[in-house]
Amino acid sequence: MRNNTRNIITIILFITIIFGFMIGNFAAPDKEVSASERRTLAKLPEFSMQKLFSGDFFSDFDKYSLDQFIFRDDFRGFKAFVKYNILRQKDNNGIYMVNGIINKLEYPLNEKSVLNAANKLNDIYNRYLRDINTKYAVIPDKNYFLASENGYLSIDYSRMTGLMDENISEIGYIDLFKSLSIDDYYRTDIHWDQDRLIGVADKILEEMGNAARASDAKFTRRELYPFYGSYYGQAAVKANPDTLVYLTNSTLESAMVFDHYSGTYGKIYEPERFTGIDPYDVFLSGPQPLLTIENPDSPTNRGLILIRDSFGSSIAPLLLCGYSKITLVDLRMISAEILGSYIDFTEYQDALFLYSTSTLNNSYMLK
Amino acid sequence: MLFSSISFLYCFLPVVLLIYLVVPRRLKNFILLLSSLFFYFCGEPGYLIVMVAACISGYLHGLWIDKEKGGRLAKISLISSVFFSIGPLLFFKYTNFAVRNFNLLLGTDIGLLNIALPIGISFYTFQVLSYTIDVYRGDVKAQRNFIDFATYVSLFPQLIAGPIVRYAVVESELSSRIHSSADMAAGISRFIIGLSKKVIIANTLGELGDIFLKSGSKTVLFYWLYALSFMIQIYYDFSGYSDMAIGLGRIFGFHFPENFDYPFISRSLTEFWRRWHISLGTWFRDYVYIPMGGNRAGKAKWLRNIFVVWFLTGFWHGAEWNFILWGLYFAVFLCLEKLFLLKVLEKIPVFARHIYMLFFIMVSFVLFNGDGLAECISNIRGMFGFPGVPLVGAEAIYYLKSYSVILLVAAVGATPLPRMAVDRLKSLKKINRLANILEPAVQVSLLLLVTAYLVDGSFNPFLYFRF
Repeated sequence: MRNNTRNIITIILFITIIFGFMIGNFAAPDKEVSASERRTLAKLPEFSMQKLFSGDFFSDFDKYSLDQFIFRDDFRGFKAFVKYNILRQKDNNGIYMVNGIINKLEYPLNEKSVLNAANKLNDIYNRYLRDINTKYAVIPDKNYFLASENGYLSIDYSRMTGLMDENISEIGYIDLFKSLSIDDYYRTDIHWDQDRLIGVADKILEEMGNAARASDAKFTRRELYPFYGSYYGQAAVKANPDTLVYLTNSTLESAMVFDHYSGTYGKIYEPERFTGIDPYDVFLSGPQPLLTIENPDSPTNRGLILIRDSFGSSIAPLLLCGYSKITLVDLRMISAEILGSYIDFTEYQDALFLYSTSTLNNSYMLK
Repeated sequence: MLFSSISFLYCFLPVVLLIYLVVPRRLKNFILLLSSLFFYFCGEPGYLIVMVAACISGYLHGLWIDKEKGGRLAKISLISSVFFSIGPLLFFKYTNFAVRNFNLLLGTDIGLLNIALPIGISFYTFQVLSYTIDVYRGDVKAQRNFIDFATYVSLFPQLIAGPIVRYAVVESELSSRIHSSADMAAGISRFIIGLSKKVIIANTLGELGDIFLKSGSKTVLFYWLYALSFMIQIYYDFSGYSDMAIGLGRIFGFHFPENFDYPFISRSLTEFWRRWHISLGTWFRDYVYIPMGGNRAGKAKWLRNIFVVWFLTGFWHGAEWNFILWGLYFAVFLCLEKLFLLKVLEKIPVFARHIYMLFFIMVSFVLFNGDGLAECISNIRGMFGFPGVPLVGAEAIYYLKSYSVILLVAAVGATPLPRMAVDRLKSLKKINRLANILEPAVQVSLLLLVTAYLVDGSFNPFLYFRF
């Protein structure tokens, strides 16, 4: 038989919680975006009889009530805490932490996707780049350094590079795996840290046959703090933020970035974007389909086509010392079919495909 | 609408509870009916009419059967009620199955019906059937108040996934029921426990099942991990739903029957089915098995009756061959146990009897969960290493480690041990006083944790919604 005091306490607490959150959710203003998850949040669905009777109104309302729930991030943190620390689950929604480094599982190896990427590279090479010195490089994701040795699932990276090698015969390969370590990546983000990429830039320039070296250029370090990377929000746990460092000098500050889509000019670094949804947008304004960096100080007339994912945004400025212009192509946002309409390939001497292992393993996003 | 959704917990429930508690007694059923119709409408706007039609049909047939009782038309009225109850279920649930098999058998190309299964139809159909049959048998009086009857059929706590509540169980509570703080508190506790079972355990194990199904590197260990996790998942999913239904019912003054009684502590499959989905088992026993003669009509008819009941039980769960096979699988084992196996089992150690029960239940749920017969067979073969499936792999070991605590918690939670431990502690006076604070605090923590899981998660429908 339940004690009456206990009954009363149970009822009061339950009523307080369900009514409290109902009123709280009703009273709290709706948010446009989730800063931690970097996405727009669902809005109160518009009412119509058609939506009501199709059931769409209620399913949209469910999404809205999930997205706009008060203290949402705190609740997500609570869940992550329980999953990691009480239920001892190794990851939460694929996110795991090792020594303060947040990472996302990249598993399993999708061989079809890797083959698709290889075919894509071959196709673009055959279509546009046969007369250009062309190389490709693969950037290991953080799992390469962390996953296997800490008991997390890891793809077979040698199998991945092997598949690329077997299926790409006419494009030279630049091996970056040995040039990088886990310290070269942000702790809370997927990307590499530009501050630690001078050696990688030198390696690429050398392999491309370019005499210039990033290490010969003098850079000024500019720090932006605190940098909460994309994994930070997904992890929903407390972790120390990174410092986003960008390297600049007079050449980079005078360089202009032409956006082929909008027809406008911008700068290489846009520190004002640091407070936006994705602070990594500081580099080349974030994801853009087609950009050309023009280097007015270049002693040569050598052009580079950099076909890349988001990792390319932070290394491109370091390669600029060796080029008069670098055109960056993001095939996640522009189809390879129409590149010829935007780019005169005869103006370029070098081309580099630069993709992370994550992109190769999910290559169907490449158009 | 799902119980395990933010919109139910923090919109629907508080509003309904507030109105229900405020309105005078005579309006309470009306409010419950309106709320239940709205609840159903939220999930299945188009099929509300089917449910309402079932209410009207059941109500009118109850009156007709009552009027014809003992007369010439009594049987006809009963047959009519069965026809109008079963008809929509057959149409919505089994037409495509029949067409598919007809096409397969005769090589025809008859198009399938483009219809979805109305949520909960298998449950509310059985409730209406039990009512009209009970009226015919004279076990209950016909309900003359349509609001009360429709409230019984559509009552949102048990509308869409049971338990199958017989009319006789709630007959008196429909007309007058007592609302007490003891009932309400007990209902709240039960509801939160059910919610936690569903959201924290069943959904988490469901993730593991999804990972397995998508995996390209299945190993024998992974097959067993999948089988074990699904067996536990379906228990927590369905018993969690039943707990929520029973808890919500109690909040509103109803006392629904128990639907699960720690099935995994059984020592035979016969015992398992006395403890699993009790409301369905007793329904088939009372309305199919016993009317067919039960075990009193000779061995051959007895075995036939078992096979009929289990064929129907499997078919009730789904219009696919694997469900039928699943039912017949149990028919075979229950027959064997009744004929000789139970006697053999009694002679072996208790531990071995548990292993026997768990093994065959686990295999049965692999059959149950497959997407078609081919997948079922492939999964069962995989459990035994066929064809050439490796024993272990990195993926299976990773997920075994990652899910070991929750599997352990779930396994212990599926036994009476936690309940016994709590009761033991409460029997100590000092602890019992402390429990006044501790028990509600644990419940609040669980409710907040469930909220956290829901806020971070996505849509997770109950497994039993498809039945």
